[in-house]
Amino acid sequence: MKQYILQRLASGLIVLLGISIFSFALIHLIPGDPIRIMLGENATAEQVHALREQLGLNQPLVTQYFQYLANVLQGDLGTSFKTGRPVLSEILERFPATVKLAASGMFLAICIGITMGVLAARFKDTFIDFSAMSIATLGVSVPSFWLGILLIMLFTVKLGWLPIAGGTGFRDLILPAVTLGVLASTVISRLTRAGMVEVLSFDYIRTARAKGLGEGAVLFIHAFRNAMIPVVTIIGLQIASLLGGTVIIERVFDWPGLGSLAISSIASRDFPLVQGIILFIGVIFVLVNMLVDIVYSLIDPRIEVGQTKEGTS
Amino acid sequence: MSQANPAVISPSQKQVPVREDGVLLKLWQNPKSRYSMIILLIVIAVGIMGPWFAPHDPTKPYYESLLAEPSAEHLLGTDSIGRDVFSRLLHGTRVTLMVAVMAVSITFITGTFIGVTSAFIGGVVDTILMRIMDILLAIPNIIMAMAIVAILGPSLTNAMIAVGIAGIPKYARLTRGSTLAVKSSGYVEASRAVGTSNARILLFQIMPNIMSTLLVYTTLQIGIAILDTAALSFIGLGAQPPTPEWGTMLSEGKEYISDAWWLATFPGISISIVVFSVNILGDALRDILDPKSN
Repeated sequence: MKQYILQRLASGLIVLLGISIFSFALIHLIPGDPIRIMLGENATAEQVHALREQLGLNQPLVTQYFQYLANVLQGDLGTSFKTGRPVLSEILERFPATVKLAASGMFLAICIGITMGVLAARFKDTFIDFSAMSIATLGVSVPSFWLGILLIMLFTVKLGWLPIAGGTGFRDLILPAVTLGVLASTVISRLTRAGMVEVLSFDYIRTARAKGLGEGAVLFIHAFRNAMIPVVTIIGLQIASLLGGTVIIERVFDWPGLGSLAISSIASRDFPLVQGIILFIGVIFVLVNMLVDIVYSLIDPRIEVGQTKEGTS
Repeated sequence: MSQANPAVISPSQKQVPVREDGVLLKLWQNPKSRYSMIILLIVIAVGIMGPWFAPHDPTKPYYESLLAEPSAEHLLGTDSIGRDVFSRLLHGTRVTLMVAVMAVSITFITGTFIGVTSAFIGGVVDTILMRIMDILLAIPNIIMAMAIVAILGPSLTNAMIAVGIAGIPKYARLTRGSTLAVKSSGYVEASRAVGTSNARILLFQIMPNIMSTLLVYTTLQIGIAILDTAALSFIGLGAQPPTPEWGTMLSEGKEYISDAWWLATFPGISISIVVFSVNILGDALRDILDPKSN
């Protein structure tokens, strides 16, 4: 167990290093001169030279990378080119809003997904099953931003129940969280259904029913807990990908999170900020995945290194 | 691996791959995939011929009818500068098809190449390539695509390239997995034993046998590519105005959400129908070609 956790930490560390190389390389992969692109056509030679100096782009690549890494490890992600503020504080200012949105979305996704999955499995091959699974397929086909727009049209414009986008209060949170939750629930409901269908066909379920247990007890005490192992894994993986999904949703609802920041920084070609956000999201993603794997190995000790993600793909 | 003595199995006796020629028929027999195929054929026809039938120029503003409701003159209404939504939608179909072809080709070709190389050569090459893929997988797809657009600059072509590249890591992993499975199968070992060259094994044994898995995944990838490119356009990092692209149209429609419901409704329906049909088709293909993976 201890060895598994150590190995998982080590491989996570390698991936983290790789992400730092990727975010570092970002600015060097830009075709043409990034300084010129950032400063625009009319920049003078002095301005170009000064910024190049400031960003350290006149040094050898390897020196630059280690300097970058050293800075990052000290929490210095550079300075936003547009606002002149440290990139890290820009990010940390927006991050709580994104976490709030992603967490509420995840909560809704779990509630919706598991309910639909259990119902679909219990009433397999009936209309309920068919509708639940159609909704799941529809959920992966409808663009998230369009679903968001439709919800705004219905609940804000038509019914006037919820405020127009822009705030960060509870009432502002409802629509983006529902949008996110509905879309993320599709994977969960499919997996829950698959797991439940399998478990419900086992002998011990028949035994449980034969000894006269109520359907609720059979479903939730006997079947559900055994069907949940793959679902728990996917929920863990979803937490991280939800952070990606929020990007677009934030734009739809003008939610002031990391996603909006990422979009505006790319549009304004604020490369230090873009680099910082990519690095930050990558690190969060890896840490969450690592945590999920470790927690998972504690829940289900049979799991071993190398078996975790390959097993699901 | 335990299939008798490899030396006595001649190459002609190797395991027969899933027969691909019956697939179309099977897809046609299943009502769900039949309807989705019909819808997709119509979409392709519209993509090719739609612009000829478009009643108006998709970029021409009619200033006398701004934000006009759907009518006989403008079937699906007009937008904020009076452009005909129906014509824009028809032209947008072609853009969407282009996205599907271009982005998915990038993913398919590069991903297959990396995956097969990794599995076939193995050793250090495999480790290095897969570590790189792991690193790229650690960044959510859409963020990855955004990073690439940040590098290349916002445009429709760059968005397609970005979405194509962002899909590679997952695809390469999948190809590697299937290649490894085929590589260790009895018939490959057998033909290796009788001295078949690596190139022959790769082309005539591995490729045909991983194709069915790849076909399934490629179909599903089309849906993802269309959604992601539309998303990039929606946030302003893909197609630029006045290009009639569905994601861009939605983004413009969002601005007039309380005045003109039609602007944000029809492009969304179009995207959903196309992606939904592609996904149904992909699921059906998986049931036929690769029943284990479901």
